[in-house]
Amino acid sequence: MMFQEVWNPVVLGFFLWFAGIAGMGSVAYVSMKLSKVEEKLKELSIVIFASIVLALVFVVADLSRPFNMPFAILQSLLSGTFIVKIFVSWMSFGISVLALLLLLSLLILLRHTFMPGLQKLTDQKWYLVLTGLIGFLVVIYSGFLIADAPGIPFWNNSLIPVLWIFSASVCAVAILKILVKNESITRFLTRAGLALEIGELVSLAALMNVSLYSGIEAAQESAAELLLGSLASAFWLFVVIIGVLVPLSLGFLLLKRENRNLALISAICGLIGALALRILVLWAGIPITVTL
Amino acid sequence: MRLAHLWDQSKCISCGACIAACNAANYKSTDKPNPTWGGLQTNIKRIVFDLKEKPYFLLLQCQHCENAPCVAVCPTGASYIDKDGLVKINPTLCIGCKYCMTACPYGMRWLEPALGLPEKCMGEECQSRLKQGLQPVCVTVCPAGARAFGDLDNPKSEINKRLKSGRVIRLLEYKGTKPKFFVVVGR
Repeated sequence: MMFQEVWNPVVLGFFLWFAGIAGMGSVAYVSMKLSKVEEKLKELSIVIFASIVLALVFVVADLSRPFNMPFAILQSLLSGTFIVKIFVSWMSFGISVLALLLLLSLLILLRHTFMPGLQKLTDQKWYLVLTGLIGFLVVIYSGFLIADAPGIPFWNNSLIPVLWIFSASVCAVAILKILVKNESITRFLTRAGLALEIGELVSLAALMNVSLYSGIEAAQESAAELLLGSLASAFWLFVVIIGVLVPLSLGFLLLKRENRNLALISAICGLIGALALRILVLWAGIPITVTL
Repeated sequence: MRLAHLWDQSKCISCGACIAACNAANYKSTDKPNPTWGGLQTNIKRIVFDLKEKPYFLLLQCQHCENAPCVAVCPTGASYIDKDGLVKINPTLCIGCKYCMTACPYGMRWLEPALGLPEKCMGEECQSRLKQGLQPVCVTVCPAGARAFGDLDNPKSEINKRLKSGRVIRLLEYKGTKPKFFVVVGR
């Protein structure tokens, strides 16, 4: 048994986490804007932009040839290869949507801070829809990035992008729970958070089940390591208990009566769980054993 | 043209000459460790299956797949299939994302630590030998004649002759990679 050592799970885990926050955060921003909810949009725009910048910092930190990147991408763009690759490689697709979201979220941030005149552009319906769509595509990409790696059977699973969408949505709701104090909105967030936590739990259970019974040894080993092996204590504590069960239990309590402190604990637990989930799934990847 | 490798497991004596020759030719006999696989910096990996009754081993290297996942996932086109059918790397286009390494089901790429470049068969020296009409070093040095290399599209090539005469398998065919590394497992 050998865990994958090609990608640094912590560095890439943070990248996927920030990409998820930025992506579903953008969807949340757009939903609020289109629903005419104006509370804490400035703060949310700061979180989205900071997250996308941090995501890019972490992904570049894991490159083994970062200084070659600008020239290589430029040359690939000029030759037209990069454009073709967008339709074939999730990495090319990801570079494109991350760059687009960086630009879109920067303009939204500027609209809320130093350049309010930009609202003529950023408050347009098409701009908001585009931002939401690109944000969602960033989350989809962050899932397919690892799901599309046939060398690691545990990742090579269509449930990963689904799990990532649920988990990133939990993060977006958690960020809003931290920012927003309006009771009618927090009530909605509690209900939405509960539904998303249940979705995350079901997709997580499905991923483990499918991997354990997939018939591919490396996928079985990865799932077993997370459930019972050397990664089990971190998995059960941070992903299952802190990441899902605590927010789920607090969510049911908050349904009866909203409580700011409990909502904050629930939100922070959800965020920690999402980060731990990404790090541990990356860590647990085991390459295929080649035999005759 | 579709250049391909053949390794005859039934003839191989596991002397390691191909591994040493690859290290000498393509990596200047460096004794620095291979950070990805361990052992020497070479493009051939020996895997030993420690079965009590009947231990056996495999010599693995880039399979030069016709449907290569490493080529598909590469964001810039740094990994590509050349006109001769071999999977190659253009270092000027490589950003070091290592996606090719995780995509390869055979795990046949390793990271050269000084340049941060994924390495694989064929190394530069072997490619240069091909241009001169020579065989890759691993084929040349094999004392048991366990290796062959040639064009699958040429019916008279050595590799085609040996493909016809032996029981041949390809590794992880279910992955749909269409590998061009043939393993002879018997007559």
